[in-house]
Formats: sequence, C-alpha cells, structure tokens
Amino acid sequence: MKILEIENLSKSYESKLEVVSDCSFSIESGNICAIVGESGSGKSTLFRLIAGLERPEKGSIKVKEKIVSNDKFIVAPKNRNVGLVFQDFSLFPHMTVKENIEFGLVKNKNKKVEELLKIIRMENFLNRYPHELSGGQQQRVSLARSLALDPSLLLLDEPFSNLDTELKSKLRKDVRTIIKDIGTSSIFITHDILDALDIADEIIFMDNGKIIRQCKIEDIFKDVKNEKLLKSITELKSNSDLILNALKNK
Amino acid sequence: MVLKIKHLKRDFNKSSLLIVIISLLLAIPVFAILISLFKGTGEMWEHITSYFLIDYIQNSIILLLGSGIICFVIGTSSAWVVSRYKFKGRKIIEWLLFMPLAIPSYIVAYSYVGLFGYGGSFIKFINYLGFNNIDNIEMMNIYGLVWVLSFSLYPYVYASTRLIFQSYPTRLKDTASLLGASKNKYFFKIALPLASPAIIGGLFLVFMEVLNDYGAAKYYGINTFTTGIFRTWTALEDLQSSIYLSAILVVLVFVLVLIVKWLRGRRSYNLKTYNSNDQDEIYRKDLKGLKKIIFLTIVFVPILFGFLFPFLQLIIWGLQTFESMFNSDLLNIGIQTLFLGLSTSIIIVFLATSLIYLSKWNYLKQLNVTSKLATLGYVIPGAIIGIGVIKSSHSITEYFSTYHNIKIGYIIYNSILVLIYAYVFRFIAVAFNSIESNTLKLSKSLSESSNLLGFGKIKTFFKIDFPLIKNALLTSFILVFIDVIKELPLTLILKPYNLSTLAIKAYEYAEDERVAEAALPALFLIFIIGSMISVVNYRFKLNKS
Repeated sequence: MKILEIENLSKSYESKLEVVSDCSFSIESGNICAIVGESGSGKSTLFRLIAGLERPEKGSIKVKEKIVSNDKFIVAPKNRNVGLVFQDFSLFPHMTVKENIEFGLVKNKNKKVEELLKIIRMENFLNRYPHELSGGQQQRVSLARSLALDPSLLLLDEPFSNLDTELKSKLRKDVRTIIKDIGTSSIFITHDILDALDIADEIIFMDNGKIIRQCKIEDIFKDVKNEKLLKSITELKSNSDLILNALKNK
Repeated sequence: MVLKIKHLKRDFNKSSLLIVIISLLLAIPVFAILISLFKGTGEMWEHITSYFLIDYIQNSIILLLGSGIICFVIGTSSAWVVSRYKFKGRKIIEWLLFMPLAIPSYIVAYSYVGLFGYGGSFIKFINYLGFNNIDNIEMMNIYGLVWVLSFSLYPYVYASTRLIFQSYPTRLKDTASLLGASKNKYFFKIALPLASPAIIGGLFLVFMEVLNDYGAAKYYGINTFTTGIFRTWTALEDLQSSIYLSAILVVLVFVLVLIVKWLRGRRSYNLKTYNSNDQDEIYRKDLKGLKKIIFLTIVFVPILFGFLFPFLQLIIWGLQTFESMFNSDLLNIGIQTLFLGLSTSIIIVFLATSLIYLSKWNYLKQLNVTSKLATLGYVIPGAIIGIGVIKSSHSITEYFSTYHNIKIGYIIYNSILVLIYAYVFRFIAVAFNSIESNTLKLSKSLSESSNLLGFGKIKTFFKIDFPLIKNALLTSFILVFIDVIKELPLTLILKPYNLSTLAIKAYEYAEDERVAEAALPALFLIFIIGSMISVVNYRFKLNKS
C-alpha cells in the first residue's frame, strides 16, 4: 500500500516564486525515505504541505489513499495522523518530559509514556524540563512525543542538523531502530547525503522546488542524468571509503 | 481567477470573518470622519482659517520640534549615563528617570504655576539661596509648554534607548578602541547610530503625546490643533469644522509616520549577532571629578523638573487642601476611575489577543490588513476619536430612527459603553503591539506541534500559548490601564454626566482656578500609576532573571 501519494503539488508565497513546483511522487508503506536538497530547495515547504500546515496552490496529497489536501478542501493537521518532528524539536518549555510525551494522548497515558521512554532509553528523565536536557535527549523526547499517537507517517525535519558529528552518527542508528521497531513509515529531510545513505530505504533529490530524482538507496549511482546531481554524486563517489563504511554500518 | 475563487471557498474560515468584523467595527470613527469630509466645510470654517489655523499649525510645529529636540537630548544622555557609568544610587536613579510617566503632563503644567509663579515654591527656594531679584519665571507661554511637555515625555526616549545601550556587548567598545576610535567617536559613530531606531521610535511616541495634549495647552492658553478641535465643537458649536480640523491633524500625523518610516529605513540592527555572554554583565566605568558632576547633573535635572519638583508641589498643595478635599466624593471618583480602567483594560487585552490569534488562524492573509485599521487609534489624537465617535453615534441613531423607527439614542448618548468603545479604539494598539511582539518570539512550531498532536486552535492557545505569554498579557494590561486612567480629551468629550475620573476632577479644579484643590485627585492618580509602573518594572526584572 502507498502511504503517501503526491500529485502535481505546487506552492508559492507572496513573492509568487514557486517554492514547490509541480511535484509528484509516492512512498510505500513501511519505508524510510530521505528528501535531500540544498537550503531553499523547497524541502521544508513540502513537509509543511504534507503535514497540513500550509495550503497548496494546486495538486493533491493522499495519506493512506485518502485525499488530505487539494484545491477544494483541506484536512486539518490534527486529523491527518501525520507526526512531525521539527528541526528545533519544539518541546513545550513549560512541560516536563512526561507531560510533553503524553500531551496528545487521551487514554493509557502512563503505560504509553513508560513504553516510549524505554524505547528512547530515557526512563530516568521523566520529570525533567526541556532546558535540562541535552540536544540529543531533546530530539529523542520530541520523537517519542510524535510516536505516541501511532502516526501512519512520521516526518522528521533535518533531524541531525543541530548535533555534533559523534552524536549524529549514534542518533542516526537510534532513529532508524526506533522507527523500524515501531513499524511506521517515515520521511526525513536533510542536506547531508550521508544521513540518507545511513538510514533511508529510498531517496528523493530536490532542487529549486522540483523533484529531480527518486530512487532506492542501492540505485543511487545508476543512470544519473541531471547535471547538478551528477556533480554532487561524483563528489560523493570520490569519497568511497566514507560511503562504504556508512553502508556497512546500516 | 477561478483558482483564486476556489481557494477563497477553501481558505475562508470563521477567523477570516471575525477579523474583518472586529476591525471594521473598531474603525467606525475613522470612517465617520472620512465620510463627513465629503459633506463640505462647516459655517465657521472661514473664520477658523482666517484667524486660527496658522496659529494651530505654527504652535504645533514649535511644540513638536521643541519637545522633540529636548526629549532627544535628555532621553539619550540620561540613558547613556545610567547604562555606561557606575555611581552611588544608580539603580534608584534608573527607576526615578521613568517616574515622570506617572504624572500626566497636564498635572505637571498645573504644578509649574505653583512652582514658578509669584510666591511659588521654587522662587522662594532660589530667593533663599540669595537670588532675590527673581520673583517669577513666566511659564504660561509656548516655551513654557515646550518645557513642560519635554520634561514629562522624555521617558519615552529614555526607556527605549536605555534598553539598547544596555544591550551593547563589551566587545563592541573594545573593537572600536582597537581600531583607534576615541570615546567621542565611539559614542557618535557607533553607539548613537546603533540606537537610532529606538530613539526614533521613542520620539514618535513623544510626538503623538504632544499632538494629543489638551489639558496643558488649554491651561497655558496655547492654541493647538487639539484645543482648536474642542473650541470649534463646544464654543463655536460647529462639529463639521472640527472634523475638518481633525482631518488636517490626521494628515500631519501621517506625515510624521512617513518621516519616521523614512528615517528608520532598513535600520534594524540585530545585536544578538554578538556573543550573548558578553551582555550578562555590563561593563560600567567609575565616575570621577568634573565628569562626575556633569554626568550627575545630566541625570538629576530631568528627575527634578519632570518628577520631584511637580510631585513636591502637589504634596504641598495636597496637605494644604487635605481636610476639605479628602472625602467620600474623592474616594468614589477613585473607585470609578479604577473600575473604568480595569474593565476597559480587560476588554482591550481580550480584543487585542483575539485579533492577533485570529490573524494567525486566518488563511487569507490579505484580510489581516484590516487589523491594521483596528490599531490606527494610537496615532490618532483622542480629541479626533471623540469627534469621530460622536459623528458615528449621530449617524447610527439617525439610521435606526429613520429606517426602523427604533430609538437607541438613550443607549448611545451619555453611556459608559461609548466611552469604553472609544478607549478600546484609542488604546488597542498598545496591547496589540506588546502582545504581538511576545507571540512572535514564540516558535511557530510549538503551536504547530500541538495541532499535529491532535489539539485544535483554541485548546492549543490555552495549553501552549497562554502559559507562555501570560506575563506579556499582564504587562500590556497594566500599560493600557495607565493610559486609560490618564486619558483626558477623549474622556472630556464622551464621559456620561454622572461619571467622573481623577484626571477629569483634577482638570476641572485647575480650569476653575482652584489649582491647589486639583492636587489630591492628581496625587491619587500618580499613586495608582506609580504602583503600576513599579509592578511592570518588577516583572521585567523577574523575567530577566
């Protein structure tokens, strides 16, 4: 089953320039997909459109084969069953770890919080406030908060951009394990192709609001036609040791 | 176009509708004045243009320029001294420099007569020091008014500039010194230009208060636009001509707004680009010798003339008249003032917060422009809003009486509701700007996270936004409360006959040449405002820590 289907999606702001331009792609259920592109390529706007935080100019979005956005109507973010972990983690500063995780839950709060804290290995941080946590811990709490509602699709906005290299490599593995254990589908955006190689099953390249390539991770070096993409992939190939290591660790 | 109509249907929601309704309802006085302009001038217009208009324009320009220059000099110099130098009692002086805000300028004007007139307290004091040839300092002229307005309004410049000066990181000064800049060069080439957006912002508030002043100008017998609008309407009984005068004043205000925008240009300096650790402890230099005397004079003169002298004069008068003036009537007026201030401030904070959040929840962003209409009141002097409210009240009662045969005059005229409505339009911008700047500091993704976790907009507001902006709501409530209880021209025009406020009472006594009797209501007012300013100051310090 396709978890996400996007057709001819476009979005422009007041400047009239299209930030997302005629994008079409779909993602299979259970997969982790990385959207890779430079700053300003439209990745974040695409995410906000999928989550329902922005309204498209044209095109449609389907989640679990149901239309959630098109020209005529919009399903509110709270009714989409889509989770989003923001780049700044967006933990509620006046709530503890427990209160943050149980925020969206209606029943079995304690049990669910306990389960999630075990998954993110933060059982002892229940009553801490966000400012008392490290960057990596904050990210895991934010991930747990989104996962608490069992979303059909989990979106992660630049999940590793605020972290140092050592923590980044550890968290990549953590995030993949957590997502795969829970069995949800996920998309994350990054400008670092190594993040994608490390944890994604498939990869989408974006440039200037357009999707220039979608492929499985193992096909990343096959039949590259786009010049810009070819250049960056060539640069990536030249650092083959890094790639091999990354693939080995996955 | 088809696409846009499709989107209109999809994106138009209750928030879009409410934002338009609230904004248009609030801006009715502006529309009333605009529509009236098409009905031609009033009977007395020729008389006004021949005898008064030049006077109004000239005096208003002298007042604006005079108080602008003095407020700039006093406000920036005192802010610089308390921000960059160490001396005994600095913290108290920092607080005292704000205090002129607690005394409305018309009350300062009354007290100056008791200070500088024949046999006045200040005159007695300088005679005691040996200057026997001075028996009077003439204050009741335009220069006296410039002096009064400058010393009661400079805190607007001081407050905004002090905040900027105190945020300068030490390394800014170090960098300038390493590049060979002298102290003067650092002040004039770095510190002052960096503070210019804040100085211009403070000066704009001074200009608005100068144009809004009625009590002080009336008492000193100076013809300004605001006194002219009153006279044309009450003495000459020509509402139409007062509307024309109001329109000219509105044009003057918008010229000022344009000048401020032009001066500010793209000047918005982000001092956060510097290491914030530098700002924790401001490096202050010791003051010594002649420099100490000069710099202490810079901070003491505004405190003396803007607060201590007027306040002491009021205390002297208050003690003299205490027995005759301190009675249940005064307490009753005090309670009425508090009630009016509290109820209006609650309504204003509620409406301002609603407008801000409705704008956030509205997907047709073009409609948010209407909220700018609702917040126009702060740049329109009170007298004009009063005239606009009266004009629109006439039109509304006439409409209901002619087309529906319903008499609603008794609800509108002489009703406290109309006065509160006018206050809401006049002061909603104060709350709107202060709350909006705080909501903008909140990361947008916080409320978006809540939405994605299943909470609607209103629940998100109460669970996430409200706990994080409640201090800002309280601060804006206090700021509005102070403005409302100080307000004079609007209250004079629209108050019901059975309602009085401390400001009105003080004005009435002073107008009646019983200026000493005005002291007790004035002191009562100053006490309330002073306590409120202290609460804001305390909360500000609390937030900072």
